[in-house]
Amino acid sequence: MPHFKQRPKVTIEDLIRLKRDERPAAAFWVNFDHELRQKQLTALLKKRAWWQELPQLLMRRAYLPVGATAILAFTFVSVKYYGPTPAPALVSAPVQQSQVAAEPAVANQAVSSPLANRSPMIAAVLEARPAVVTDSTPLPEPIELMPRQTRAVAAETPSAQTIAANLASFELTEPELVNSVRGSRLSPAARIQNVDLVVSELASVPTNASMRSRILAQYADRPLSREPSAPEIVRERLARRLGNSDITDRLNRIGLRGDQVSLGVTLRL
Amino acid sequence: MNLSKVFTKAIITSPERQQEADADLSIVKRVQAGEVAAFDQLILKYRERVFGIIYNLTSNREDASDLTQDAFIKAFQSINRFQGHCSFFTWLYRIAVNGALSHLRKNRLRTFFSLEKLHEDGTNAQIIDQLTDKKGADRGTYLKELQEKLNEALQKLSIPHRTVITLFEIDGLGHAEIAEIMGCTEGTVRSRLHYAKQFLQGEMGKYLNS
Repeated sequence: MPHFKQRPKVTIEDLIRLKRDERPAAAFWVNFDHELRQKQLTALLKKRAWWQELPQLLMRRAYLPVGATAILAFTFVSVKYYGPTPAPALVSAPVQQSQVAAEPAVANQAVSSPLANRSPMIAAVLEARPAVVTDSTPLPEPIELMPRQTRAVAAETPSAQTIAANLASFELTEPELVNSVRGSRLSPAARIQNVDLVVSELASVPTNASMRSRILAQYADRPLSREPSAPEIVRERLARRLGNSDITDRLNRIGLRGDQVSLGVTLRL
Repeated sequence: MNLSKVFTKAIITSPERQQEADADLSIVKRVQAGEVAAFDQLILKYRERVFGIIYNLTSNREDASDLTQDAFIKAFQSINRFQGHCSFFTWLYRIAVNGALSHLRKNRLRTFFSLEKLHEDGTNAQIIDQLTDKKGADRGTYLKELQEKLNEALQKLSIPHRTVITLFEIDGLGHAEIAEIMGCTEGTVRSRLHYAKQFLQGEMGKYLNS
Protein backbone atom coordinates (compact mmCIF):
# COMPACT_ATOMS: atom_id res chain seq x y z
CA MET A 1 0.00 0.00 0.00
CA PRO A 2 1.59 3.25 -1.12
CA HIS A 3 0.20 5.29 1.80
CA PHE A 4 2.15 3.36 4.36
CA LYS A 5 5.34 3.14 2.37
CA GLN A 6 8.12 4.89 4.32
CA ARG A 7 9.82 7.54 2.15
CA PRO A 8 13.43 8.48 2.88
CA LYS A 9 13.54 11.70 4.89
CA VAL A 10 14.88 14.85 3.27
CA THR A 11 17.73 16.28 5.31
CA ILE A 12 19.06 19.81 5.49
CA GLU A 13 22.14 18.66 3.56
CA ASP A 14 19.86 17.58 0.71
CA LEU A 15 18.24 20.98 0.67
CA ILE A 16 21.55 22.82 0.64
CA ARG A 17 22.84 20.63 -2.17
CA LEU A 18 19.90 21.77 -4.27
CA LYS A 19 21.84 24.94 -4.75
CA ARG A 20 24.34 23.04 -6.87
CA ASP A 21 21.70 23.05 -9.57
CA GLU A 22 21.35 26.81 -9.55
CA ARG A 23 23.47 27.29 -12.63
CA PRO A 24 23.54 30.06 -15.20
CA ALA A 25 22.59 29.32 -18.78
CA ALA A 26 25.23 28.78 -21.49
CA ALA A 27 24.61 32.24 -22.93
CA PHE A 28 25.75 33.74 -19.66
CA TRP A 29 29.27 32.38 -20.13
CA VAL A 30 29.63 33.94 -23.56
CA ASN A 31 28.94 37.35 -22.07
CA PHE A 32 31.13 36.53 -19.08
CA ASP A 33 34.12 35.65 -21.28
CA HIS A 34 33.69 38.80 -23.31
CA GLU A 35 33.61 41.03 -20.22
CA LEU A 36 36.53 39.21 -18.65
CA ARG A 37 38.63 39.68 -21.78
CA GLN A 38 37.90 43.40 -21.76
CA LYS A 39 38.77 43.72 -18.06
CA GLN A 40 41.95 41.75 -18.59
CA LEU A 41 43.09 44.07 -21.36
CA THR A 42 42.22 47.14 -19.27
CA ALA A 43 44.21 45.74 -16.36
CA LEU A 44 47.19 45.12 -18.63
CA LEU A 45 47.12 48.65 -20.03
CA LYS A 46 46.43 50.36 -16.73
CA LYS A 47 49.56 51.72 -15.12
CA ARG A 48 49.72 50.80 -11.49
CA ALA A 49 50.43 53.43 -8.89
CA TRP A 50 53.93 53.45 -7.39
CA TRP A 51 52.68 52.60 -3.90
CA GLN A 52 51.06 49.45 -5.23
CA GLU A 53 54.40 48.27 -6.54
CA LEU A 54 56.30 49.30 -3.44
CA PRO A 55 55.87 46.03 -1.52
CA GLN A 56 57.03 44.08 -4.54
CA LEU A 57 60.12 46.28 -4.81
CA LEU A 58 60.90 45.96 -1.13
CA MET A 59 60.51 42.22 -1.21
CA ARG A 60 63.12 41.75 -3.88
CA ARG A 61 66.34 40.54 -2.41
CA ALA A 62 68.51 42.91 -4.40
CA TYR A 63 66.96 45.85 -2.59
CA LEU A 64 67.42 44.48 0.90
CA PRO A 65 71.06 45.60 1.33
CA VAL A 66 70.15 49.03 0.01
CA GLY A 67 67.31 49.33 2.46
CA ALA A 68 69.46 48.14 5.34
CA THR A 69 72.17 50.65 4.47
CA ALA A 70 69.63 53.45 4.27
CA ILE A 71 68.24 52.55 7.68
CA LEU A 72 71.73 52.43 9.18
CA ALA A 73 72.62 55.79 7.65
CA PHE A 74 69.42 57.33 8.91
CA THR A 75 70.05 55.96 12.41
CA PHE A 76 73.62 57.31 12.39
CA VAL A 77 72.53 60.76 11.25
CA SER A 78 69.67 60.95 13.73
CA VAL A 79 71.91 59.87 16.63
CA LYS A 80 74.67 62.28 15.63
CA TYR A 81 72.54 65.36 15.14
CA TYR A 82 69.53 64.77 17.33
CA GLY A 83 70.97 62.60 20.07
CA PRO A 84 71.77 63.83 23.61
CA THR A 85 74.57 66.41 23.65
CA PRO A 86 77.16 66.42 26.48
CA ALA A 87 76.36 68.82 29.31
CA PRO A 88 78.27 72.08 28.93
CA ALA A 89 78.94 72.29 32.67
CA LEU A 90 82.37 70.75 32.49
CA VAL A 91 83.49 73.25 29.91
CA SER A 92 81.76 76.32 31.17
CA ALA A 93 83.06 76.20 34.73
CA PRO A 94 86.71 77.12 34.02
CA VAL A 95 85.60 79.49 31.31
CA GLN A 96 83.43 81.42 33.71
CA GLN A 97 86.14 81.60 36.32
CA SER A 98 88.72 82.77 33.84
CA GLN A 99 86.38 85.38 32.49
CA VAL A 100 85.78 86.67 35.98
CA ALA A 101 89.48 86.86 36.57
CA ALA A 102 90.16 88.57 33.31
CA GLU A 103 87.19 90.90 33.35
CA PRO A 104 86.20 91.95 36.84
CA ALA A 105 83.03 93.58 35.57
CA VAL A 106 81.34 90.19 35.34
CA ALA A 107 79.81 89.26 38.64
CA ASN A 108 80.79 85.91 39.99
CA GLN A 109 77.93 86.03 42.46
CA ALA A 110 75.44 85.79 39.70
CA VAL A 111 76.01 82.08 39.63
CA SER A 112 74.60 81.68 43.10
CA SER A 113 71.23 83.09 42.08
CA PRO A 114 68.03 81.22 42.99
CA LEU A 115 68.00 79.76 39.51
CA ALA A 116 71.05 77.78 40.41
CA ASN A 117 68.95 75.65 42.71
CA ARG A 118 66.43 74.93 40.01
CA SER A 119 68.52 74.20 36.96
CA PRO A 120 70.53 70.98 37.08
CA MET A 121 72.97 72.42 34.58
CA ILE A 122 73.78 75.37 36.83
CA ALA A 123 73.98 73.04 39.79
CA ALA A 124 76.54 71.05 37.92
CA VAL A 125 78.50 74.23 37.33
CA LEU A 126 78.42 75.01 41.03
CA GLU A 127 79.65 71.53 41.87
CA ALA A 128 82.47 71.83 39.42
CA ARG A 129 83.65 75.02 41.03
CA PRO A 130 85.92 75.03 44.07
CA ALA A 131 83.79 74.80 47.19
CA VAL A 132 85.07 77.85 49.07
CA VAL A 133 87.11 80.64 47.58
CA THR A 134 88.43 82.82 50.33
CA ASP A 135 90.26 86.04 50.00
CA SER A 136 93.56 84.32 50.65
CA THR A 137 93.01 81.68 47.96
CA PRO A 138 94.89 82.68 44.87
CA LEU A 139 92.79 82.63 41.73
CA PRO A 140 93.99 80.38 38.95
CA GLU A 141 95.74 81.90 36.05
CA PRO A 142 93.26 83.27 33.51
CA ILE A 143 92.91 81.21 30.40
CA GLU A 144 93.17 82.99 27.11
CA LEU A 145 89.78 82.49 25.59
CA MET A 146 89.67 85.55 23.40
CA PRO A 147 92.47 87.08 21.40
CA ARG A 148 94.04 90.04 23.14
CA GLN A 149 93.09 92.33 20.31
CA THR A 150 89.45 91.36 20.70
CA ARG A 151 89.53 91.97 24.42
CA ALA A 152 91.09 95.37 23.88
CA VAL A 153 88.33 96.25 21.47
CA ALA A 154 85.76 94.97 23.94
CA ALA A 155 87.26 97.08 26.69
CA GLU A 156 86.81 100.15 24.60
CA THR A 157 83.10 99.68 24.13
CA PRO A 158 80.86 102.24 25.87
CA SER A 159 79.26 99.64 28.14
CA ALA A 160 82.65 98.39 29.30
CA GLN A 161 83.76 101.93 30.03
CA THR A 162 80.61 102.59 32.04
CA ILE A 163 81.05 99.39 34.04
CA ALA A 164 84.68 100.26 34.76
CA ALA A 165 83.72 103.76 35.97
CA ASN A 166 80.99 102.37 38.22
CA LEU A 167 83.35 99.82 39.64
CA ALA A 168 85.96 102.46 40.44
CA SER A 169 83.41 104.58 42.28
CA PHE A 170 82.14 101.57 44.25
CA GLU A 171 85.69 100.67 45.23
CA LEU A 172 85.84 103.85 47.18
CA THR A 173 82.45 103.61 48.87
CA GLU A 174 81.76 99.87 49.12
CA PRO A 175 84.99 97.89 49.11
CA GLU A 176 83.31 94.72 50.45
CA LEU A 177 80.79 94.69 47.68
CA VAL A 178 83.46 95.23 45.07
CA ASN A 179 85.44 92.34 46.46
CA SER A 180 82.41 90.12 46.26
CA VAL A 181 81.73 91.20 42.69
CA ARG A 182 85.31 90.47 41.75
CA GLY A 183 84.90 86.85 42.67
CA SER A 184 85.72 86.53 46.32
CA ARG A 185 83.07 85.47 48.77
CA LEU A 186 81.59 87.86 51.25
CA SER A 187 83.35 87.91 54.55
CA PRO A 188 81.32 86.73 57.59
CA ALA A 189 80.94 90.31 58.78
CA ALA A 190 79.57 91.40 55.47
CA ARG A 191 77.17 88.48 55.44
CA ILE A 192 75.78 89.36 58.87
CA GLN A 193 75.51 92.96 57.82
CA ASN A 194 73.54 92.04 54.76
CA VAL A 195 71.22 89.72 56.71
CA ASP A 196 70.56 92.45 59.27
CA LEU A 197 69.75 94.81 56.46
CA VAL A 198 67.30 92.37 54.94
CA VAL A 199 65.65 91.64 58.28
CA SER A 200 65.20 95.29 59.13
CA GLU A 201 63.77 95.94 55.68
CA LEU A 202 61.44 92.97 56.05
CA ALA A 203 60.19 94.14 59.40
CA SER A 204 59.58 97.64 58.17
CA VAL A 205 57.58 96.65 55.11
CA PRO A 206 53.88 97.23 55.85
CA THR A 207 52.19 94.24 54.28
CA ASN A 208 49.16 92.12 55.03
CA ALA A 209 51.45 89.62 56.66
CA SER A 210 53.10 92.22 58.89
CA MET A 211 52.66 90.06 61.98
CA ARG A 212 54.42 87.22 60.26
CA SER A 213 57.20 89.63 59.26
CA ARG A 214 57.58 90.75 62.87
CA ILE A 215 57.81 87.18 64.09
CA LEU A 216 60.43 86.45 61.47
CA ALA A 217 62.36 89.55 62.50
CA GLN A 218 62.21 88.50 66.15
CA TYR A 219 63.35 85.07 65.25
CA ALA A 220 66.23 86.47 63.23
CA ASP A 221 67.39 88.52 66.23
CA ARG A 222 67.80 85.45 68.35
CA PRO A 223 71.35 84.24 68.81
CA LEU A 224 72.33 81.04 67.03
CA SER A 225 72.58 78.04 69.32
CA ARG A 226 73.03 74.30 68.93
CA GLU A 227 69.58 73.66 70.47
CA PRO A 228 67.35 76.29 69.05
CA SER A 229 64.06 76.92 70.83
CA ALA A 230 60.98 78.00 68.94
CA PRO A 231 59.04 81.15 69.88
CA GLU A 232 56.38 80.89 72.55
CA ILE A 233 53.43 81.01 70.19
CA VAL A 234 54.86 78.23 68.04
CA ARG A 235 55.43 76.02 71.07
CA GLU A 236 51.90 76.61 72.30
CA ARG A 237 50.34 75.71 68.97
CA LEU A 238 52.51 72.65 68.65
CA ALA A 239 51.48 71.46 72.10
CA ARG A 240 47.80 71.94 71.28
CA ARG A 241 48.06 70.00 68.04
CA LEU A 242 49.98 67.16 69.65
CA GLY A 243 47.44 66.96 72.45
CA ASN A 244 44.53 66.84 69.96
CA SER A 245 42.75 69.44 72.03
CA ASP A 246 42.34 71.63 68.97
CA ILE A 247 40.71 68.82 66.97
CA THR A 248 38.29 67.79 69.73
CA ASP A 249 37.46 71.43 70.30
CA ARG A 250 36.48 71.81 66.65
CA LEU A 251 34.46 68.61 66.60
CA ASN A 252 32.53 69.65 69.69
CA ARG A 253 31.30 72.69 67.88
CA ILE A 254 29.22 70.58 65.45
CA GLY A 255 26.19 69.06 67.07
CA LEU A 256 23.91 66.43 65.56
CA ARG A 257 20.56 65.99 67.24
CA GLY A 258 17.71 64.21 65.46
CA ASP A 259 17.14 66.12 62.24
CA GLN A 260 19.03 69.20 63.45
CA VAL A 261 22.58 70.20 62.90
CA SER A 262 23.92 72.91 65.17
CA LEU A 263 27.17 74.79 64.77
CA GLY A 264 28.84 76.42 67.77
CA VAL A 265 31.00 79.48 67.17
CA THR A 266 33.60 80.56 69.71
CA LEU A 267 35.00 84.03 69.60
CA ARG A 268 38.53 84.44 70.82
CA LEU A 269 39.47 87.85 72.04
CA MET B 1 61.49 20.41 2.55
CA ASN B 2 59.31 23.43 2.95
CA LEU B 3 56.71 23.07 5.69
CA SER B 4 53.94 24.61 3.64
CA LYS B 5 54.61 22.10 0.88
CA VAL B 6 54.26 19.28 3.38
CA PHE B 7 51.00 20.81 4.55
CA THR B 8 49.70 21.04 1.00
CA LYS B 9 50.63 17.44 0.31
CA ALA B 10 48.77 16.42 3.44
CA ILE B 11 45.64 18.27 2.33
CA ILE B 12 45.58 16.92 -1.19
CA THR B 13 45.08 13.32 -0.33
CA SER B 14 43.36 11.89 -3.37
CA PRO B 15 45.58 11.08 -6.38
CA GLU B 16 43.12 12.78 -8.73
CA ARG B 17 43.43 16.01 -6.82
CA GLN B 18 47.20 15.69 -6.82
CA GLN B 19 47.23 15.07 -10.55
CA GLU B 20 44.98 18.06 -11.09
CA ALA B 21 47.23 20.24 -8.94
CA ASP B 22 50.30 19.16 -10.89
CA ALA B 23 48.58 19.92 -14.19
CA ASP B 24 47.60 23.36 -12.92
CA LEU B 25 51.14 24.03 -11.76
CA SER B 26 52.56 23.26 -15.19
CA ILE B 27 50.07 25.72 -16.75
CA VAL B 28 50.95 28.35 -14.17
CA LYS B 29 54.66 27.93 -14.96
CA ARG B 30 53.94 28.50 -18.62
CA VAL B 31 52.05 31.69 -17.78
CA GLN B 32 54.90 32.80 -15.55
CA ALA B 33 57.30 32.15 -18.41
CA GLY B 34 55.36 34.60 -20.55
CA GLU B 35 52.76 32.44 -22.29
CA VAL B 36 49.84 34.60 -21.27
CA ALA B 37 47.27 32.73 -23.38
CA ALA B 38 47.77 29.64 -21.24
CA PHE B 39 45.87 31.38 -18.47
CA ASP B 40 42.67 30.96 -20.51
CA GLN B 41 42.82 27.24 -19.81
CA LEU B 42 42.69 27.95 -16.10
CA ILE B 43 39.77 30.34 -16.60
CA LEU B 44 37.79 27.77 -18.56
CA LYS B 45 38.54 25.11 -16.02
CA TYR B 46 37.58 26.98 -12.89
CA ARG B 47 35.14 29.74 -13.89
CA GLU B 48 32.01 27.78 -13.03
CA ARG B 49 33.28 26.63 -9.65
CA VAL B 50 34.51 30.10 -8.72
CA PHE B 51 31.25 31.62 -9.88
CA GLY B 52 29.34 29.00 -7.88
CA ILE B 53 31.09 29.74 -4.61
CA ILE B 54 30.70 33.51 -5.00
CA TYR B 55 27.10 33.20 -6.13
CA ASN B 56 26.23 31.08 -3.12
CA LEU B 57 27.89 33.58 -0.84
CA THR B 58 26.21 36.64 -2.32
CA SER B 59 22.95 35.22 -3.73
CA ASN B 60 23.24 37.75 -6.50
CA ARG B 61 24.06 36.80 -10.08
CA GLU B 62 25.44 40.15 -11.23
CA ASP B 63 27.66 40.59 -8.19
CA ALA B 64 28.89 37.05 -8.54
CA SER B 65 29.75 37.63 -12.18
CA ASP B 66 31.73 40.79 -11.44
CA LEU B 67 33.51 39.28 -8.45
CA THR B 68 34.45 36.17 -10.41
CA GLN B 69 35.97 38.28 -13.15
CA ASP B 70 37.84 40.34 -10.57
CA ALA B 71 39.17 37.19 -8.94
CA PHE B 72 40.58 35.93 -12.23
CA ILE B 73 42.13 39.29 -13.00
CA LYS B 74 43.75 39.46 -9.57
CA ALA B 75 45.07 35.95 -10.01
CA PHE B 76 46.44 36.87 -13.44
CA GLN B 77 48.14 39.98 -12.10
CA SER B 78 49.67 38.14 -9.16
CA ILE B 79 50.56 34.96 -11.00
CA ASN B 80 54.29 35.68 -10.59
CA ARG B 81 53.86 35.59 -6.82
CA PHE B 82 52.39 32.10 -6.92
CA GLN B 83 55.22 29.78 -5.89
CA GLY B 84 53.37 26.49 -5.66
CA HIS B 85 53.26 26.22 -1.89
CA CYS B 86 49.60 25.28 -2.24
CA SER B 87 47.55 24.13 -5.21
CA PHE B 88 46.46 26.73 -7.75
CA PHE B 89 42.87 25.81 -7.03
CA THR B 90 43.26 26.64 -3.33
CA TRP B 91 45.09 29.86 -4.15
CA LEU B 92 42.40 30.94 -6.63
CA TYR B 93 39.65 30.04 -4.17
CA ARG B 94 41.31 32.11 -1.49
CA ILE B 95 41.41 35.13 -3.80
CA ALA B 96 37.77 34.62 -4.78
CA VAL B 97 36.51 34.07 -1.23
CA ASN B 98 38.46 37.04 0.12
CA GLY B 99 37.05 39.27 -2.63
CA ALA B 100 33.52 38.05 -1.92
CA LEU B 101 33.89 38.54 1.82
CA SER B 102 35.23 42.03 1.30
CA HIS B 103 32.29 42.81 -0.98
CA LEU B 104 29.82 41.44 1.56
CA ARG B 105 31.32 43.51 4.37
CA LYS B 106 31.12 46.65 2.27
CA ASN B 107 27.52 46.02 1.26
CA ARG B 108 26.30 44.48 4.48
CA LEU B 109 23.05 46.40 4.45
CA ARG B 110 22.27 45.84 0.80
CA THR B 111 20.74 42.40 0.38
CA PHE B 112 19.30 41.99 -3.08
CA PHE B 113 18.64 38.54 -4.47
CA SER B 114 19.10 37.80 -8.10
CA LEU B 115 18.80 34.06 -8.37
CA GLU B 116 19.65 31.61 -11.09
CA LYS B 117 17.10 29.11 -12.31
CA LEU B 118 17.07 25.85 -10.41
CA HIS B 119 17.68 23.10 -12.99
CA GLU B 120 15.47 20.16 -12.32
CA ASP B 121 17.43 17.79 -14.48
CA GLY B 122 20.43 17.86 -12.20
CA THR B 123 21.71 15.33 -9.73
CA ASN B 124 19.16 16.40 -7.18
CA ALA B 125 16.12 15.63 -9.31
CA GLN B 126 15.10 12.83 -6.99
CA ILE B 127 15.14 15.09 -3.95
CA ILE B 128 13.09 17.67 -5.80
CA ASP B 129 10.54 15.03 -6.69
CA GLN B 130 10.43 13.89 -3.13
CA LEU B 131 9.97 17.40 -1.82
CA THR B 132 7.30 18.54 -4.20
CA ASP B 133 5.44 15.47 -5.36
CA LYS B 134 3.29 17.83 -7.35
CA LYS B 135 2.71 18.49 -11.01
CA GLY B 136 2.45 21.45 -13.33
CA ALA B 137 2.50 25.07 -12.15
CA ASP B 138 2.25 24.22 -8.49
CA ARG B 139 5.54 22.37 -8.57
CA GLY B 140 7.35 25.30 -10.17
CA THR B 141 5.92 27.74 -7.61
CA TYR B 142 6.87 25.46 -4.79
CA LEU B 143 10.42 25.13 -6.06
CA LYS B 144 10.77 28.88 -6.45
CA GLU B 145 9.51 29.44 -2.93
CA LEU B 146 11.88 26.81 -1.61
CA GLN B 147 14.78 28.40 -3.43
CA GLU B 148 13.98 31.84 -2.02
CA LYS B 149 13.56 30.54 1.53
CA LEU B 150 16.82 28.67 1.32
CA ASN B 151 18.65 31.77 0.13
CA GLU B 152 17.05 33.88 2.83
CA ALA B 153 18.10 31.39 5.47
CA LEU B 154 21.65 31.32 4.14
CA GLN B 155 21.82 35.10 4.12
CA LYS B 156 20.78 35.16 7.77
CA LEU B 157 23.96 33.27 8.65
CA SER B 158 27.09 35.22 9.45
CA ILE B 159 29.63 35.51 6.66
CA PRO B 160 32.09 32.94 8.08
CA HIS B 161 29.34 30.40 8.74
CA ARG B 162 27.87 30.92 5.29
CA THR B 163 31.28 30.50 3.71
CA VAL B 164 31.97 27.27 5.55
CA ILE B 165 28.66 25.65 4.70
CA THR B 166 28.89 26.75 1.08
CA LEU B 167 32.38 25.38 0.64
CA PHE B 168 31.57 22.12 2.41
CA GLU B 169 28.08 21.22 1.26
CA ILE B 170 27.88 22.86 -2.16
CA ASP B 171 31.48 22.81 -3.40
CA GLY B 172 32.37 19.58 -1.66
CA LEU B 173 35.66 20.72 -0.15
CA GLY B 174 37.19 18.99 2.86
CA HIS B 175 37.65 20.50 6.30
CA ALA B 176 41.39 20.95 5.83
CA GLU B 177 40.99 22.72 2.51
CA ILE B 178 38.35 25.04 3.94
CA ALA B 179 40.59 25.76 6.92
CA GLU B 180 43.43 26.68 4.60
CA ILE B 181 41.24 28.88 2.41
CA MET B 182 39.71 30.68 5.38
CA GLY B 183 42.87 30.84 7.43
CA CYS B 184 41.46 29.09 10.51
CA THR B 185 41.75 25.72 12.20
CA GLU B 186 39.88 22.60 11.24
CA GLY B 187 38.17 22.66 14.61
CA THR B 188 36.79 26.09 13.87
CA VAL B 189 35.53 24.84 10.51
CA ARG B 190 33.75 21.89 12.11
CA SER B 191 32.23 24.07 14.79
CA ARG B 192 30.95 26.62 12.30
CA LEU B 193 29.56 23.88 10.11
CA HIS B 194 27.68 22.33 13.00
CA TYR B 195 26.20 25.66 14.06
CA ALA B 196 25.23 26.61 10.50
CA LYS B 197 23.44 23.29 9.94
CA GLN B 198 21.53 23.62 13.19
CA PHE B 199 20.47 27.12 12.27
CA LEU B 200 19.35 26.13 8.77
CA GLN B 201 17.47 23.15 10.14
CA GLY B 202 15.49 25.50 12.34
CA GLU B 203 14.80 27.89 9.50
CA MET B 204 13.85 25.24 6.93
CA GLY B 205 11.95 22.92 9.26
CA LYS B 206 8.71 23.40 7.35
CA TYR B 207 10.20 22.00 4.16
CA LEU B 208 11.98 19.17 5.88
CA ASN B 209 8.84 17.84 7.56
CA SER B 210 6.57 18.15 4.55
